[in-house]
Amino acid sequence: MVENDIFKALADPTRRAIFEKLAAGRMNASALRTGLDISQPAMSQHLAVLRGAGLVREEREGRFVNYEVDPDGLALIARWLAKYRAYWPARIDALKALLKDMDQ
Amino acid sequence: MNDSAIETQADDGDLVLEYDLDAPPAQVWRAISIPEFREQWLPDGALADATPVSTVGGEEIRYRVRDDEPPFLESVVTFRIRPNEGGGSTLRIIHAPPDPRLTSAVPAANDDAPVLMRAA
Repeated sequence: MVENDIFKALADPTRRAIFEKLAAGRMNASALRTGLDISQPAMSQHLAVLRGAGLVREEREGRFVNYEVDPDGLALIARWLAKYRAYWPARIDALKALLKDMDQ
Repeated sequence: MNDSAIETQADDGDLVLEYDLDAPPAQVWRAISIPEFREQWLPDGALADATPVSTVGGEEIRYRVRDDEPPFLESVVTFRIRPNEGGGSTLRIIHAPPDPRLTSAVPAANDDAPVLMRAA
């Protein structure tokens, strides 16, 4: 399942940090490593997992490879967030109704 | 009654919502932690497990939430209660994104748990 891969990939804090960094704009692997304490092979591995999950895609420009956030992957995360952003207020309304009943 | 929710976007991707409730913390705690009360606003069907993941008496309780659609991802929601200035409570909901490592591959075979259908 796509969602499984996406959330599994992001459950790793380093990969989440890489993903958040890419969310600011496309960049190459060495720019990505700036500020993150991570070796080049480890970065390659993390990027491979993020790509495999459909969260990140690569853009080749001649000899250079840039990485960017894959909008399809981002949309799945946004869908999860949107779902529970709507879900919790409805639950809280029900909780408030219960709290009123408990008073009586 | 104050209906406003304050939402903060945490760095780690958690969904964080905060509500001010008129009821005092002890009452909110009962509504959230006692299954008979909790079931009335957060039904068992929404949870992967009706037993809390962890409990800090009167302050914090965590449950495993299960999505109601495939792939039925499981995630952990934390409820934190603290008193507010008006004699009521501030309830903080911290919902961490699904961690597929939590999700059981096979649905639990609980004979005593009826399959709950979401009411339209």
